[in-house]
Parts: sequence; C-alpha cells; structure tokens
Amino acid sequence: MKGKCYIQGMAAISPQHTFDGDLLSQPMAVTQGNMLSCVEPDYRAFIAPNSLRRMTRVLKMGLAASLKCLQDAAVAVPGAIVTGTGKGSLQDTERFIKEIRDFEERALNPTPFIQSTYNAVNGLIALQQKCTQYNNTFVHRGFSFEHALLDSMLLLSEGKPDVLAGAFDEITTEHFFIKGRIGHWKKETISSDTLYEHVSPGTISGEGAAFFLLTQEATAQSYAQLSGLQMLYKPSPEKLQHALGQFLTQHGVQPEDIDLVLSGANADSNHQHYYDVLNSYALGTQLPFKHLCGDYETAAAFALWLGASFLKQQQVPLQWFPMLKEQPRSLRNILIYNHFFGEQHSFMLLQKVDQTVSIKG
Amino acid sequence: MAERVFITGVGMITAVGDDVAGNLQSLRAQQSGLDYTRQLTTIYKDVLPVAEVKHTTPELSEIAGVAGKEGYTRTALLGLIAMQEALRHAGITNVQDELTGFINASTVGGMCDTENVYFDIADPAKTGDFIRFIDTLDCADCTQRIADTVGIEGHIATISTACSSSANALMYGARLIKAGLARRVICGGTEALTRFTINGFNSLKNIDKRPCMPFDQDRNGLNLGEGAAYLVLESESLVKERNATILAALDGYANTNEAFHPTAPSPEGDGAYAAMKSAMEMGGCVPADIQYVNVHGTATLSNDVAEGMALQRLFGEQTPKFSSTKPFTGHTLAAAGGIEAIYSVLAIQHQLIFPNLHFKDKMEELYITPETSLLENYPVRHVLSNSFGFGGNNASLLISKYEG
Repeated sequence: MKGKCYIQGMAAISPQHTFDGDLLSQPMAVTQGNMLSCVEPDYRAFIAPNSLRRMTRVLKMGLAASLKCLQDAAVAVPGAIVTGTGKGSLQDTERFIKEIRDFEERALNPTPFIQSTYNAVNGLIALQQKCTQYNNTFVHRGFSFEHALLDSMLLLSEGKPDVLAGAFDEITTEHFFIKGRIGHWKKETISSDTLYEHVSPGTISGEGAAFFLLTQEATAQSYAQLSGLQMLYKPSPEKLQHALGQFLTQHGVQPEDIDLVLSGANADSNHQHYYDVLNSYALGTQLPFKHLCGDYETAAAFALWLGASFLKQQQVPLQWFPMLKEQPRSLRNILIYNHFFGEQHSFMLLQKVDQTVSIKG
Repeated sequence: MAERVFITGVGMITAVGDDVAGNLQSLRAQQSGLDYTRQLTTIYKDVLPVAEVKHTTPELSEIAGVAGKEGYTRTALLGLIAMQEALRHAGITNVQDELTGFINASTVGGMCDTENVYFDIADPAKTGDFIRFIDTLDCADCTQRIADTVGIEGHIATISTACSSSANALMYGARLIKAGLARRVICGGTEALTRFTINGFNSLKNIDKRPCMPFDQDRNGLNLGEGAAYLVLESESLVKERNATILAALDGYANTNEAFHPTAPSPEGDGAYAAMKSAMEMGGCVPADIQYVNVHGTATLSNDVAEGMALQRLFGEQTPKFSSTKPFTGHTLAAAGGIEAIYSVLAIQHQLIFPNLHFKDKMEELYITPETSLLENYPVRHVLSNSFGFGGNNASLLISKYEG
C-alpha cells in the first residue's frame, strides 16, 4: 500500500477519564468488579436534546466520540466514515428481542430495531455532519476496528485526503452474564488495578468508543503516524512469532527500536501464552493496558488512542501504569499487539511524527 | 497500475434454487420463491409472504456435508453451501494453494437460531444445550464457521451496513486486490429469515402482505427472503497464472451516503444517483454503455421513488432495461448484493434480462417502467447492480463482460 497515514485528531470515551481534560493529570479510575463501564461525558455539548432522548448508550458514545474527534482535527466533513464494532447496540438488540416476546409481535416500536443495526452510528455521524462520502462498518470481533483501519488506509492510498475511523462497543449486565457462561470472565471478582495478579481462566470485561481522523499528510498537530497494521486469524504460536519478526522488518524497524509495547495481555490463562511471543524479541518495555479498559472486541482502538497520546505528549501517565517505574528513555516507536480470545490477532506500529522530515506545510 | 479484478466463480442458494443453475432456471421460468414460512415461529406465518429456502436446517447441514456437527446456524449453513459451490465453480480444489481472503456480510448473524433460545441463554436458572449458541450471537460466527470449514486463512472480515452489506463486501474485496494485499478474495453475504427482522421491517410498516410489486404504483412494501451468495474475485495475474475462466469483470463500484434520514432515502435519490454515476465512471462507462440495471427495487414506497428518480436523472429518456429480482428471492438483506451481483453475471453470460414480476401500473412519480418480460438474446455488456441500506448507505457495482 502506498502513502502514509497520520492521526490528526482523536477522541475516546472509556472507563478512564479520557474524554475531557489533560490525560496526564487524570487519576486512574479503578473498578471493583469484573465489568468496567465507561465514564460518560455530558452529551448535550454534542447532540441535540430531541435526538439524545431516543438514542441508546452506545449510539451516544459513538456519536459523541466521533464529533469530538472531528473537532479535535478541525475537520467538519471527513472524506469517509469507517467504523468497527463487535456487538453494535446491545441495549437495542436486547430490547427489541424482549418486546417481540412481551408484545407478542404486535404494535412494536421500530426504534430499537433501527438502532440495533450495526451501521446505525455511521449513519448518525453522516447525517449530523452531512457527509455523503464512503461509509462502511465492520463487525468481526477482534478484527472489527482493525479492518476499519485497513479500509481507511486503503482509502487514503486511493486518494481520500482524510478519513474518520473509529470503534465502539458496550457491555450490558445481561450480556456480561451471557458471555460469562462460556468462560469469558474470571470466576473470582477482582479490582481492576490488580488484574495482572490474577492469572486464571477468563478476564474482565470492558467497553469504549474511540475515533481517529486519519490523513495522508502530517502537520504540527499530528499525534502519530500509523505505519503498519497486520491481522492474523487463528495463528499458531510459531506463525505468530514469525509474523511479528516479518512485520518489524517490513517496516524497517529492529526489535530494539521499539521503545514501548502496548500489550493486550489480560491475565486470561487460557490465551495468555500468545503474549509470550513478545518475549522472543528484544523489544522495549511491555505495558499491558486492559486494567484500564477491560476486554472487548475493539479494545485495540483504546490502545491506539493511548499510544498516540504517549507519542504526542512524549510521556506515559505513570499514575495509570503503576507497573512502570519511570518514563521510557525514548518514545519514538510503539508496537501494539492484541488478540481477542486467541482468535483475531493484530499488530500495529505507531511512530512519532518526525517534525523535520515528514511535515509538509 | 492496479490490477483488474475478475469474477471467476459464483455460488448461491435462495428460495428459487439451491445453486446457481437452479436460480437461473427459476428466473427463466419466471417462478417466484415467495410463499409462507415453514421454518419460522411467528404470528405472521400465514400473513406475510417470505422467500424461504425450501429446506429445514438439518437438511441444509446434509447439503453442506456437516450433518451431525454442532454449532452451525442456518445463517452459517446457507453461507457454507454457497461458498462450496463458488469454490467448485472457480475450479479451486485446494483453497490454500493461494492465500485466500473471505469478506462476508451479515445483518443479524445467527439470530435465526439464537432468538429461539435467547431467554434461556439470559436466564441464570436455565442450563442446557443452548449454551453452544452463545457464540453465534454476533455476525462473525457465521463467517468464521464457513472459513474454518473450507480452510480459508487470508484476510477475514464481516461487513454490516444493513441491506447494502454484501455489495460493500464485494467492493472491499476488490480494493484489497487492487491494493496488492491479496490476489483472491471471496465476497458476498448470508442471511437467514428471523422473527427479529420480520418484526423489525413490519414495525416500520415496510412489509407488503401481497407478493411485492417493485416499481408499481400500487406497491406497498417488501417481502423478506433468505439465502447466501459468494463471488470469487481474483486479480488478473492470478487468473492468468492458473488459467482460470473469467465470468465477468468488476470494473466499477461506489459507496455513497445520503446523510438524509436513518431509514429513508432522499426523495430525489441523491445517494443512489451518486453511487450509480461513480461506479459507472470508475469503469470508464457513460450512460449509453449500460444495458441493464438490477435495481435495489425493494417495493417500499420510498425506495422505488428515490431509485426511480435517480435512474431518470442519470439516464433520462434512454434509461436502460431495469428490473428488481426481489419478487423472486425476496429481500435477502445482507445477501441481496451478492445474489444480485450473481444475477448480473448471469445476465451477461446468458445475454438475458430478467423480468420484474408483479408489475402492472406505472408509478405516478416516474415516467420509466421496469422490464416485465424475460428477454433472451439481449446484448448485455455492462450491468449496474444497486444495493441501498439503512443509515443512508448506497452501493452500486458495475459488472462488465470480459472482452480481453
């Protein structure tokens, strides 16, 4: 793929205080229990009251994060809107299933059906910003956001000047229970800040919305360059290890050039062994992030938001990462490695924007 | 220079046929697949016509060769049957000979099966077999089941943009090939009838109690259908290397958004117009080059006005032959773009125009009318296939005869 991809604006709603204010000054939010929920902003700054009343939670989170991202990039109408979501609007899906039963299929309100459509958030963003360009939604578990990014990178290489890419997922009490039945979550109830001390079957659940305005060219405002992205479907540990080496080589980076690895390690003993691949290369500090956001299909979007923040601010908020005793010596190259319950694996390479070389005007 | 993308194999299952040949036969016989459901539990089973695949779910497992194996939803089985035919048809005996991608489309994933056990799944007091359906709640399950069964290891994704999902899957697959990220990607969609979607569209007052009448003045909504369809897309170089037969070329495509309303198109068909125009121009065509448009034509009040206006704006008095094949297959939502792309390939291969069944009277808003007869030996070189969805999502594909 020719062309480059820079993060020009971004916004995240997560179980941390990520939406407003300065990241570095926010304390870590800790959840007692295995279901992390987002710190939701005041949506009225972004969404008209009559729309707000009809919208369910993930629609509000998705729309508000996307609008804040556009504001951050000072772009009103992006060249395309591409998103990923593992579950879409769970609240609406659950509600419509129940109403079909409760009202015996009669006189149903169509709103939850409409809002349960996976591309509902995309439609809302397009409608609100009057964006008549390319619009797509990926719904493939741990590849949902990654394919949204790949599609966006393709669009940039095809000549779009900018693309709004994002991800959103929510968790509900009902869905938390359902996924617990197939072993997604830990049996023991933990405090999120002690996640990594509890290596056992299952992890903790989370949710979040994150959006990025991606451009072909860098400016002084750019957060970071997204230099590489690779997905691997159900790889063997050997294949994974080989692929990581190839991924770095392909992007002209030596393992020792990686200053920081944001790792999706989530203390799930069923799938933890994949993260050992990181130890077979002489990479920089490995920093897990799921104690901050929990696990969900599009958690890598939160990791991308973190990584890009670190690169722009040239520091890591130590209060969020007690396992890190001091700032990394340098922050130029960040590798993100994540997988979703061992099935969908992804690598992302995030690089500091070189102020002297890359910026054109 | 980006490579051209060719269609080298097709596979499908719908209410009018278990394979491509069966579909073609029904199209030629002008035999609609609309009837009442035999599979679904709904109060509308004798009220709302649907185009249902005429097999029980266990029968579909037999056809797909996975009888007795657990965990395949009806959605996954329909898809698997279509996938197996597409691979056979493309002459691919070992899919791992070439790293192959799979871009699937689905609107509600395994809902067809999960909706029957959902309240047991969500009830802590209940335990049982239904636990195995938990993994099929999302859209990715069917995609991975199909991929794992046939051994696909390349790019894998599921797209969900409502009724335009599989047209967008085809577009994404073609773009992966053009960007050099894959040489073969299999694209399309799968959709099973559900109580969820029937009630959804019915709550929107979008379902006709009669067999649907696209582009008719008296139309009153759509009928839902089910099915699956996949097209094997390959790069020019791979086609040459393995001496594959080219069925048609995917030379143009476009995705635009209406930014008008969550579920309704703009009355002037702005999104439909822009999608068709861009797809055509990408393939280097002018309006006079198009011989057939397989329209979205759901027979809802708003779609047919908007799409008809868009056709008139783009083609004027010289509007080419157009028809909606939804009276045959019903509206198969995420599978519709794939099914209709295959019908477009068939129109080119067999030089056919398919009739728009159930049409009687011209719409008062339009001066154009759809083709109502089966036309044989009609010179078809370029076809536009439209798929429009909720969220203002409009997709149009340009499928062209391969002439070297």
